[in-house]
Formats: sequence, C-alpha cells, structure tokens
Amino acid sequence: MGAVYLPSQFGLLLLPLANVQVKPGDKLRITCRYSHVGQADSQPLYAAIGNDGWAGFNEVLHGSKTISVPEDTSWDYHEEYVDITITTAISAGFYDLYAKIGGTFPKVISPSLLDVVEVLAEIPDSEFGEISITDYVKV
Amino acid sequence: MAQYADIIEIVASAEASQGSRVDITVRIKNTYSSAIGIMVGGALEYGLSPWPGISFAGPTSNVAGGVTHSFSGYFTMPEKRVTIHAYSYYYGADGSWHFDDEMTKTIDVTEEIESQFGSIEILSYSRR
Repeated sequence: MGAVYLPSQFGLLLLPLANVQVKPGDKLRITCRYSHVGQADSQPLYAAIGNDGWAGFNEVLHGSKTISVPEDTSWDYHEEYVDITITTAISAGFYDLYAKIGGTFPKVISPSLLDVVEVLAEIPDSEFGEISITDYVKV
Repeated sequence: MAQYADIIEIVASAEASQGSRVDITVRIKNTYSSAIGIMVGGALEYGLSPWPGISFAGPTSNVAGGVTHSFSGYFTMPEKRVTIHAYSYYYGADGSWHFDDEMTKTIDVTEEIESQFGSIEILSYSRR
C-alpha cells in the first residue's frame, strides 16, 4: 500500500493511497493536473512506472502523448491523462509512479507515488494436466 | 482647429499583439454648411522613416454638411508601441485636396508571456 506525507497542524500526516493491480495486456491510465501560463504550447505528457530511489527514478515502463495547451493569460489548471501499456517487460511486484511534462529537459515533474502499482504475475495459457474417471452410473 | 473636415475621434483598441491586424475607424465631421469632398489619410509612428501608411478601404467621400463620416482602415501591429496619425483633407474649389486636421492615438503592444508550466500532480491511476 503506497502513501504520501502531507503537512498538517499535527506534523506530517500519512495519507494512504490505494494501489491498483495490473497484469500484462492491461493499460494503466494516469490522470494528471498541471498549471500553465502564457502562450499556447504543445508538449509531451509522460508517465512512468518504476522504482524511485536515491539515484532517481528507475523507469521500467512508460507512456507518453503530446498535449496541446491553450493560451492562459494567468495561471490556470488543466487535466490530461496518459496511458501506459503493461507488458511482460515488467516483473510482478509493487512499483512507483511519476509524471512529467516536457522532453529530455522536463518543464515540470510530479512527486512520485510510492508502491501504488501492483503488477501481478502473468496468468499462464490454458493447459490440461490429466484426466481420470471419478464415477460411472446408469442414466 | 479644422476649417471644414474636423476629426472627431480615432476608434481603435488600446493594445494589440505583434503581427495582428488592427482595425481603426477615423470619424470626420463636415463642419461646412453643404456637402464637400473629404479625404482621410494615416501614418504610423514607431521609429521607421518614412512613416508607414495606413490602408483605408474608401479614403474619400462626399459628406453632407454637418454630417460625420466614418472611414475604416487597418494596419499590421509592429513589434512596439505605435502612434497613429490620422489626417483629414477637404476638396477645394480650386480642384485640389487641402490638409485640414490631424489627430493621434497610441496603441501598445500586448505583452505575450512565454509558455510556462508551474506544477504537475497525479490525480488518479486506474486499470483500463
């Protein structure tokens, strides 16, 4: 179960975050809110699943798309989503999540949400192991 | 003080963005007792020499005595503050146009803010 720390009058408040279970073949939709001011712009919205650590965010899977931002004469908030396709490139376990706007040099980066994505092991293809007669009666 | 073709006002926005079309209207009143020919002219002062002109769709008109006529024109907003100079002329009995009046109006350039992103946060995440 992931969590974020929020400041409060009692000190830091631990706010638990629900995690989402995904498996290969699924898509994870990440909805973001960002603030913008100035001329209309087009920038990539990028999100990644991985592990946040002392050396940075180790990305395993990511998704991105170009968003068109309208002109904002003052600071304004917008919402947009990006999908990450879950593939077999990621092994089962708990992972972190972050999002950013911009390319190689991000314009803004979100705080990481820790342990909020649980990747389940891939369910194997249908197989039959053995069969045996358990009963026989006249009908 | 105008003799016959009195410029009443220049109608235009107070500011415009660089490269945009700026529409203006120059309202000129015929202060003479009967109809005369009136012509409008205009130029833009913002550092260039000679001053670029302003395009008017119909720069001349026969205007009845005591009537105010509106002349419509436009120009492309330069990269800095510009002063519109509007001129009026009347058609004299000698067959020549005579300069009569002048009025100015200043238009500022709209400041365009570069695109900036302030913050981003993840609102939700769900399996699709």
